[in-house]
Amino acid sequence: MNQAEKLARESVKVHELGTNWLRDLFLDWDKVQMAAVLLVIIILGLSPRVVQSPYYMSIIILTVLYAYVGITWNIVAGFAGQLMIAHLIFVGLGAYTTIVLLERFRVTPWLGIPLGGVTAGLLGFLVAIITLRYGLKADYFALFGIALMTVLRVLFMKIKFIGGGEGIWLTFRGESLEKMAFLTKAPYLYLGLGLLLVGSVAQFLIYRSKMGKYFLAIREDESAAGALGVNTALYKTLAVTIGTAMAGIGGGFYVIYVTFVDPPGVFNLGYNVEMALAAPIIGGLGTLAGPVLGAILNKPIAELMRGWLSAERAGSSLIVYGAFLIFFVLFLPRGVVGLIQHPYERLRRRLLTNLQK
Amino acid sequence: MQPDILIQTLINGVFTGGIYALVSIGLTLIYGVMLIINFAHGEFLMLGMYASYWAFTLAGIDPYLSIPLSAAVLFGTGALIQLGLIQRILTAHILMQILLLLGVSTLLTGLVQFFLGAQPLTLLMPYSSFGVRFAGLVFNLPRMIAFVASLVIAGGLYLFLQRTKTGKAIRACAQSREAAQLVGINVKFIYMLTFGIGVAVTGVAGTLISPSYPTTPTVGQLFSVTAFVVVVLGTMGNFIGALFGGLIIGIAEAFGGLLLGSDVKVIVSMMVFILVLLLRPQGLFGRAKT
Amino acid sequence: MALLEVQGITKWFGGLVAVHDLNFNVDRGEIVGMIGPNGAGKTTAFNMIAGFYRPNEGHVYLDGKDITGLRSDQICQLGLARTFQIVRPFKEISVLDNVMVGAYNRTGSERAAQAKAEEIIDFMGMTSMTRQTAAGLPIASCKRLEIARALATNPKIILLDEVMSGLRPTEMDETIDLVRKVNQRGIALLLVEHVMKVIMALAGRIVVIHHGEKLAEGRPDEIVQNKAVIDAYLGEVKTSAAN
Repeated sequence: MNQAEKLARESVKVHELGTNWLRDLFLDWDKVQMAAVLLVIIILGLSPRVVQSPYYMSIIILTVLYAYVGITWNIVAGFAGQLMIAHLIFVGLGAYTTIVLLERFRVTPWLGIPLGGVTAGLLGFLVAIITLRYGLKADYFALFGIALMTVLRVLFMKIKFIGGGEGIWLTFRGESLEKMAFLTKAPYLYLGLGLLLVGSVAQFLIYRSKMGKYFLAIREDESAAGALGVNTALYKTLAVTIGTAMAGIGGGFYVIYVTFVDPPGVFNLGYNVEMALAAPIIGGLGTLAGPVLGAILNKPIAELMRGWLSAERAGSSLIVYGAFLIFFVLFLPRGVVGLIQHPYERLRRRLLTNLQK
Repeated sequence: MQPDILIQTLINGVFTGGIYALVSIGLTLIYGVMLIINFAHGEFLMLGMYASYWAFTLAGIDPYLSIPLSAAVLFGTGALIQLGLIQRILTAHILMQILLLLGVSTLLTGLVQFFLGAQPLTLLMPYSSFGVRFAGLVFNLPRMIAFVASLVIAGGLYLFLQRTKTGKAIRACAQSREAAQLVGINVKFIYMLTFGIGVAVTGVAGTLISPSYPTTPTVGQLFSVTAFVVVVLGTMGNFIGALFGGLIIGIAEAFGGLLLGSDVKVIVSMMVFILVLLLRPQGLFGRAKT
Repeated sequence: MALLEVQGITKWFGGLVAVHDLNFNVDRGEIVGMIGPNGAGKTTAFNMIAGFYRPNEGHVYLDGKDITGLRSDQICQLGLARTFQIVRPFKEISVLDNVMVGAYNRTGSERAAQAKAEEIIDFMGMTSMTRQTAAGLPIASCKRLEIARALATNPKIILLDEVMSGLRPTEMDETIDLVRKVNQRGIALLLVEHVMKVIMALAGRIVVIHHGEKLAEGRPDEIVQNKAVIDAYLGEVKTSAAN
């Protein structure tokens, strides 16, 4: 076992372009997950060739969006263990920023979406600083998020300039690259996949970096992390700021695709579960492939079930997501990726002992 | 501003505060004993409202008379949920607990929306807008009854906890799970009982307000958040604190509604919430952590 | 100038004085043992030095720098690491990742941190567990992991908090050898211990704490003959030294 482990370590250090690269990849669980994610992205990217129906295309696009937003929550709650339950606040803020800039100030979404990330990140930064300063942990941190969501919903209902209770519509209805408006679904899919790709790579890079390891340490045991030189205040703030900023960008894409936003739609705990929480939990919170795998399982199955139940729309999706949450928390807390991990480790060990020969 | 309006607002606030107190007592009881924040708490209020509406629509039972029915239905539902779901995650990571309860909340809301529709149902009783006039002020009858009933129920629950053997067992579990087990208390049973009582009381609160508020599947969410504020303000697990907290928030909200408009009055309780979380998270009756 | 200088530290909780006017030093590369009965204040003193409590009075100097009241991560970056008596592994990540967290104290590069972590894992004899998730480790391995993590931070001194507690006699012997090996890398050690055999085997000097105050200080052979120490503490130990 000793020798095999050492051998495996040596092979990991070998250049990836050598003949060992496939084995090298397989021995690294992180890279296996990333390969799976890339595979999903490629398959989804090819889907317009087989999928003609706009209904199914829209499911796919929303799946991609949910995967991306799931990644952003994964960074905050999965990696760093911060209980940001009301994550959709930041998606909502990003959505509003993008659409207000477009509709009221004629700013192109190519600029508006990143700016959505900025505003969301700023709010996230504020939340992190305030909760740090006042020492809000766990339960209380979660409650703070919920309170904030309620405040934002009520506030946004009152501000006429951004649509008040009626929300804002994307008025342009034609085809325009500058306005990120398209008449077919495929361009939205490619945009979404691009976002998902960037998000996945960012997630991977964070996970493998010093910052990512520090996030995990904080999640596992904040005190022990401190004793090992981790400036927990700094890294908690970083995790929340990065995750929420990324969520804001997701919000920008959301509003461009859905062409509408209103306060009860985004500052809403039920939709928060659907868009931000469900995918990572189903796929595996804290894992690399979790959000993506969770999203492709979650959204299509939910849509199917809604089709069967075929009645009151809002009610059926809530039933599905509520049931998902309960089931996974009780029976599969590590999600699908966690389920696959055990057989994988057994395979890996067998491979290592074979290498010994 | 005329003094009349101020006093009227105060009265309305007190009446609402009584309801908030009743809802929050259930939440704080559950937290005190099981150390779980019931993120699905508002949904049980919602169920109580629906129980009352359907009891009247189907069987003609007056809401106030259907209180025992609501209490029983909700106690049963709560006990089942506790035994089947919550018991399993009592020692799990707090994120899992929160997510489970969020799942319960979402599921309950969805089930009601699916089977009973999302449109608001108003239970218009002949006395719904009946007001007693006294000294130039109006005392809305259903609200007043709700207030008095809340106090009575709260008082009854308090006596139950203080005087009866079961009540003392519940308080023992709140102090120490292990010690309670060591003296032979069936902790699992007590937890089931506590959760059942906690949500039954909330469901009754729902029944009490059903003549005054429209019944929708999401009505619970707003009450949930308000209950969180009250419980944190009154110190988590503190019964009397929940009473005081409820009244304070009810009154604060009423005046907030007067000054800012009733559709944004929830901002007042949110502001109170945020201030308490930041400046005095241990609540009015708690000890500051070193 | 000693590596670690503890000057007059005092800590009270409410009306209870846990530690009063404690003074001692640890020189570069030295092994100092801190012993005393339960409740004597060892843990409180330990936590004050490591930055987990702030002393009410007094100062702690590391290499001449005043570290009193600094955050634990700042103290770690200045070269003081600690282990926990009740082990606190990062359960859901691998042994390698655990140690890498420590290694990142001195570098930002993944390669460098991984190389350092692997070197330390090999040094500690834990190579076979490199990729294993920390949650599945038996207690003796967890203790090693504690030391490995602390070592990875490249410290000048490590504070070991009852590192022998919960170990069987054979495991204890192995750990004693391990601690010696760590010391041979030039790292000073401050050990809080109950097991006299360990202290006698490892410590060059011993500080005896009793009722929050320093009762005695000196070489092991001096301490075992010190009457006050025997009366307060060691007298009981004669029976447990047979373990």
